[in-house]
Amino acid sequence: MNACIPVPRAESADAALPSCSFTLNGQAVAVQCAPDQRLLTLLREHFMLVGAKPGCEVGRCGACMVWLDGQPANSCLLMAWQLEGRQVTTIEGLARTAHSAPVVDALAQCGGVQCGYCSAGMVMGLTYLHQQPGMDVPTASALMCGHLCRCTGYGGIQRAIDALFSAPQGIQL
Amino acid sequence: MTKPYIPLPAGVMRPLAHADLPRPDALAKLAGNPGYLTDRIMPGQLRGAILGSPHPHARILSMDTAAARALPGVHAVVTHADIPGQADYGLRRVDRPALCRDRVRYVGDAVAAVAADTLEIANAALDLIVVTYEVLPAVICAEAALRPEATAVHAGGNLLHQHHHRLGDDGAADAVTVHRISATYETPRQMHAFLETEGGVAEPDGQGGLCLYFANHNPERERQVVAALLKLPPQRVHSVGSPVGGSYGGKDELTVQPIAALLAWKSGRSVRLHLGRAQSTDFGVKRHPMRIQMESGCDARGQLTYHRVQILADTGAYATHGPEVLDAALEHAPGPYAWQSIDIAGRLAYTNNGVAGAFRGFGAVQVQFALEQQIDRLARAAGLDAADFRAQNLKPATAPGPLGQIVVPFDGPQRALAALVQHPLWTSHSERHWVDGPGGRYRHGMGLALVHRSDGFGKGFPFGCRMELALAEDGAIELRSGFTELGQNLLSAVRNCCVHFLRCDPDEVRPVLGDTRCTPDSGPVAASRATTLVWHALQRAAPQWRLQLCAAAALAFDRPLESLGLGAGGIHGPEGLVASYVQLAGKLGAQRPVITIDQPPDVTPSDAPDTHYVFGACAAAAHAVVDSWTGSIRITEMALVGAVGPVVSPMGYLGQLEGGALMGQALCTQESLDCIDGHYQQRNLDSYLIPTLADAPAMDVWAIEGLPEGDTTGPRGTGEISVNIATPACANAIACALQAPIDCLPVRPATVFRLLEGVFA
Repeated sequence: MNACIPVPRAESADAALPSCSFTLNGQAVAVQCAPDQRLLTLLREHFMLVGAKPGCEVGRCGACMVWLDGQPANSCLLMAWQLEGRQVTTIEGLARTAHSAPVVDALAQCGGVQCGYCSAGMVMGLTYLHQQPGMDVPTASALMCGHLCRCTGYGGIQRAIDALFSAPQGIQL
Repeated sequence: MTKPYIPLPAGVMRPLAHADLPRPDALAKLAGNPGYLTDRIMPGQLRGAILGSPHPHARILSMDTAAARALPGVHAVVTHADIPGQADYGLRRVDRPALCRDRVRYVGDAVAAVAADTLEIANAALDLIVVTYEVLPAVICAEAALRPEATAVHAGGNLLHQHHHRLGDDGAADAVTVHRISATYETPRQMHAFLETEGGVAEPDGQGGLCLYFANHNPERERQVVAALLKLPPQRVHSVGSPVGGSYGGKDELTVQPIAALLAWKSGRSVRLHLGRAQSTDFGVKRHPMRIQMESGCDARGQLTYHRVQILADTGAYATHGPEVLDAALEHAPGPYAWQSIDIAGRLAYTNNGVAGAFRGFGAVQVQFALEQQIDRLARAAGLDAADFRAQNLKPATAPGPLGQIVVPFDGPQRALAALVQHPLWTSHSERHWVDGPGGRYRHGMGLALVHRSDGFGKGFPFGCRMELALAEDGAIELRSGFTELGQNLLSAVRNCCVHFLRCDPDEVRPVLGDTRCTPDSGPVAASRATTLVWHALQRAAPQWRLQLCAAAALAFDRPLESLGLGAGGIHGPEGLVASYVQLAGKLGAQRPVITIDQPPDVTPSDAPDTHYVFGACAAAAHAVVDSWTGSIRITEMALVGAVGPVVSPMGYLGQLEGGALMGQALCTQESLDCIDGHYQQRNLDSYLIPTLADAPAMDVWAIEGLPEGDTTGPRGTGEISVNIATPACANAIACALQAPIDCLPVRPATVFRLLEGVFA
């Protein structure tokens, strides 16, 4: 158990709240909180990991996407009771590894970023897809419809998908 | 997705083929933390929450906050009575109370607010506030609002603004008219749907002042409004407004800032207030719904004659930018065309339907949809091709502006149209309408549209622009402006302009944005004006910058001044680099140069209030496919040709064109925020559907950089014009596919079936 992980401020006063233990970006953590506390809130308010964004909080926009046991999931729809013993990876954890580098490069080079509020979620989703063997452009494009972007018109995002999932000629600008 | 169309017509550049560095903030954004102000989450902050009105229109009879104040964990409860200074704010019309005094005027209108240890406690406290209302008749229709018997939303009546412009001899124009088109068009209320909802942090600075961290378009204005609210000298309030997680105009006017400031001031604590999506929907401004009547004509040869327009717009409960929006609608109603006469009138009504305000495309896109339908219908009536008809009716480059005012000479509409008709998307479909699929299921249509749009503010808008160009202590070249980074890629525009005019390397530039502690008052980042202003600022400051830096280097390093010049890395002499910017900054210490650049508003010399001086242009073609079985519409491809002068950042230009075009397309095909009896019907993104990747057409974007000889204006803005062009281009394509005019947006399946029944009847 990592001793320096902050405990929730308000809830810590209430000893009746259950404890929830999971692995966050490779580190074992525990929080005392209501069982229906959402992961998005835990990440932002208690772990101070603000990479997951509250865009809609109903699982539509994808801005709060994380990985749960390596699978993409919107953290606004995950509750604390669902996290027990599971592995949570956030953009902060992913960005420390090399896994997202091709996706980050493609989005940056292709103009896939404008205001950026959807970008971290896009990186979580696209990196997951990039790790799937045999993924192709039409499938990846369809699966990325769970990520809303209001700025780009998806031009830069589609170019990044084309670059990542088509034949290995690299990014074509 | 995009096909490399080669060769390009003369004078056309394709931004996708031009190298541009990634935007400077890309990596921070892709890592999730570029410093959004709603991400300033710190221990010890209080959480703010706002109590909104449940009624569209009601009198406040009493308010009891005692129970809320008594709740443990609550640190401040504020109502109108807690405002020490100026309680109302606004732009041309100061009509909006930070917290309602005795009347609520829309659902969500802020009545009270709470700051507490947690959001749960704050929300519980809101539930304990008892407000008794006397419900008043709600004004929910702009037409009815302007009838004499209507309930007044504001004391001065419901007619917020009106204007009437007449030019030319309507009778003479009518007399030569052969083809006449008369129609009434309606456009919907569109939601900005920025992904970052309104929010941020207000905190006492420990020295008797207040710091505000909220995404905005103009930190200087925010500071002034909040200072007046709290009765503080403006210099005691600081505002940081950048970066912004999307705005599109929706964060131009203040929203939650005065309330958060009041909570922080009363509690003496840092208060974070971040709206959830539903409250953001109620609280934020929207695009003005408009009803536009147009009667237009042309003669037997297809020359335009008269153009009569009546606009009625619903501005909702408070003015914000409403009057400017209506003025923009009026000014863009004639388009870039040469009419013999125009008669254009508009009225703007207060109602109890939320608040409408600034939105990318700003008043113009609504009338451009209507106008471009009229133009297509007149062309058809005259038996002319849509492009030829437009070309023969364009005003010459040196003609007066749309309302007769003197404007900067501009031939962008001609250039954009001439290039667009050479685009393969247009040339490869000589039959504009065709049908395929089983039983003729799919109906195809090609649409073309042409718009011009104004740059900057209308005459009389009180904003000049100040920036500073400075050599920072660490040797970075700083351009300091009060503008904010909304996603529009101002950072790249600043970087590229510095490289262009100051001859430095890209990584030697540090744009400093939107922070009253260290940036001057640049006015709002709005009206597609920031890139143009940055360009002009650096163009003007470059000689002085070169002289000051070289003179300083000559003195410091004992070289003849005339042998020195600016270059990548620093000051260069005949033998190469003499001193790096870092060395020079170290040598100069406190004597480092800071150049203040003041730019007055660039306005027409004509005595024509609220009109514009500078215009850009854009032409587009769109391919629409209507599924006659399901009523669904797909825009499969779009070609966009902007004529906006030199492209400062190819990536920025491309992104603005593509992004705005999809927003404009969605206004045409899918988005409408329904308001029934004053209540918004779609309050989150699972019911208000914005486009996904599957809705995005393949887009090919071109740019025409050429300008008339002697032009000194340089680059026009690209922030909005793609919205302006895409809505009419898509509407024209759908009309072509259905072989029926489109008079109401968005075109959803029900409309498609109604129109198809007409086709098959």
